[in-house]
Amino acid sequence: MMSSDQPILEVKNLETHFPLDEGTVVAVNGASFEVMPGKTLGIVGESGCGKSVAARSIMRILDKPGEIVGGEILFRRNMGEDSEEVVDIASMNTNSAEIKSIRGGEIAYVFQEPMTSFSPVHTIGNQIIETIRLHQDISKEGAREVAIHALNAVGIPLADRRLNDYSFQLSGGLRQRAMIAMTLVSNPTILIADEPTTALDVTNQAQLLELMSELQSDNGMAIVLITHDLGVIAEMADHVSVMYLGEVVESAPVDDIFHNPQHPYTKALLKSIPKIRSNSSERLASISGTVPHPYDRPKGCAFGPRCDFFMPGRCDASIPALQEVGPVHQVSCFLYDEGD
Amino acid sequence: MTTTESTLSEERLLEVSDLEKHFPIKQGFLKKEVGQILAVDGVNFHINEGETLGLVGESGCGKTTTARCILRAVDPTNGQILFRTREDEVVDIARLKGAELKKIRSEIQMIFQDPFSSLNPRMTLLDTIGEPLLLNNIGSKDDREQRVAELLEMVGLRPEYMRRFPHAFSGGQRQRIGIARALALNPKLVVADEPVSALDVSVQAQVLNLMADLQEELGLTYLFVAHDLSVVKHISDRVAVMYVGKLVEMAPTDDLFSTPKHPYTAALLSAVPEPDPRTKSERIILQGEVANPADPPSGCYFHPRCSYATEQCKSETPVLQEITDGHYVSCHRAEELILDGVLAE
Repeated sequence: MMSSDQPILEVKNLETHFPLDEGTVVAVNGASFEVMPGKTLGIVGESGCGKSVAARSIMRILDKPGEIVGGEILFRRNMGEDSEEVVDIASMNTNSAEIKSIRGGEIAYVFQEPMTSFSPVHTIGNQIIETIRLHQDISKEGAREVAIHALNAVGIPLADRRLNDYSFQLSGGLRQRAMIAMTLVSNPTILIADEPTTALDVTNQAQLLELMSELQSDNGMAIVLITHDLGVIAEMADHVSVMYLGEVVESAPVDDIFHNPQHPYTKALLKSIPKIRSNSSERLASISGTVPHPYDRPKGCAFGPRCDFFMPGRCDASIPALQEVGPVHQVSCFLYDEGD
Repeated sequence: MTTTESTLSEERLLEVSDLEKHFPIKQGFLKKEVGQILAVDGVNFHINEGETLGLVGESGCGKTTTARCILRAVDPTNGQILFRTREDEVVDIARLKGAELKKIRSEIQMIFQDPFSSLNPRMTLLDTIGEPLLLNNIGSKDDREQRVAELLEMVGLRPEYMRRFPHAFSGGQRQRIGIARALALNPKLVVADEPVSALDVSVQAQVLNLMADLQEELGLTYLFVAHDLSVVKHISDRVAVMYVGKLVEMAPTDDLFSTPKHPYTAALLSAVPEPDPRTKSERIILQGEVANPADPPSGCYFHPRCSYATEQCKSETPVLQEITDGHYVSCHRAEELILDGVLAE
């Protein structure tokens, strides 16, 4: 068994760039976070903050011309018989046998849009069976049994008949369940879910989130949940990393993020969302401006131009480093600098 | 003018009764009609002057089609849509044609969901926002420019931007452009179809605040169509909930959220994840899927998923009725059920 107080996945100073003709897009700019076994890490941020690119970097499935230019992605592999091995995914070749056995095997990925992530010309069953046989030495009939079992496990009715359906014959909720079933067949130790419920209605979302929690307590897998929805984060995550423009600006246990946020961005974000339990006539506190384009990221702290606590000469001079402000609570902001 | 006999009580701007919109399902080479999708299946509601009515429901429930019927972007199959015009005449939008319809169109405007596809990339802001004025032959070229400048300022954009193209603007700014265009003709009713769902959370608040300010300033009435219940709660005075083409509940916002009377509304409210890890509420997890509007279940459309369903629910279709002041529900058991809502802190 793996020790549970050590992270199963450690991302250190990850830098992912997209060199384009117009310039280099720095999608992830030195982000660090840890995934603990059996726990859920929530990564939250607005569009363009680099949360999906960070996740795709872990899987090494970046779209061209994206590339990891710095940092480490340390994955603790369980080699059976009490032995472990720590490998650096960032330094692997994207086509190596090693990453292929991790990708879709030990680390599985659930995409946002299940309509486009399944092939429309193959049945759901064939796609799941193919995944099983890629990672396990098993006959076609055996794999079919495993697939039916997996579809049952995610609550798809009439699983043996659904295997012969194409993805477009399933509703959005069922399709996302089938996607999760496909990731489960290989018994992953980490499940990366990239906006898994964004395309779903609230009642389907509630079903799916419950399913994911159940599967986690049954299989003990770690989940990396990427979303922009703070409600989903509050519901699911144990630990939260808040990203802004390619950087982790705050990282803390979920209760601290919502009840003791430290970074001005986290604070502003929490104030700006309408809450179903709050008094409806209150005016929302909005964050001025918009997320800057990654081509012209501001100097120094990326949030500086939109920040209420902006300190001229300080925040626009250098990028603040992530520092401890409490037990397992880290913030990157000059307001919390020791020197003050 | 086809002023109908039907009356509209003083405070109401719009009244929709028994609205239906059916889309044919065609199959085969001869495009034979094999069935109908009951997108909107007998909907009744009203909007008072100067208020915001939130229309919520899951995808496919017919909320957008209802909104499009009011705009006459699609022609309703059946029903009546009474509207009070600027001249204080009451007209039935569902039956208007030609010039009369065109006249009404200037009074009802729309804000679209996706600010990226709803603006023509080849038109400058001046062209986009000024187009409604041009089409209605309002003012000279200079007048129009002045009006566009005024509108841009009103939505918080700099008038100097009017010769730029949409690509130069972010999502939130584009949505402001869409709002400016909708306001160009001084409409009475603005139909906003998911106006903030494509925006980032930090920008969403800006647009919601802007819409609230404009309503106060210009005395606008909003029909706010959305699926996000937190947003709807924030902006609406009253809320109507739809399920498979039918209205299941309508009430003043606080009433609906604190004491829902329809089991579907209660399930919908409980499904919203609250952004606070300390309030993990009791979820009502609905079983199964939303009914197919081409082949809806018998009786109450919600009965296969409803944990309170009785034999009566399977056979009889409930009608929308007012059970307490301003609180409308269509459920056989509305009077006896006590359902949990979400209470304000």
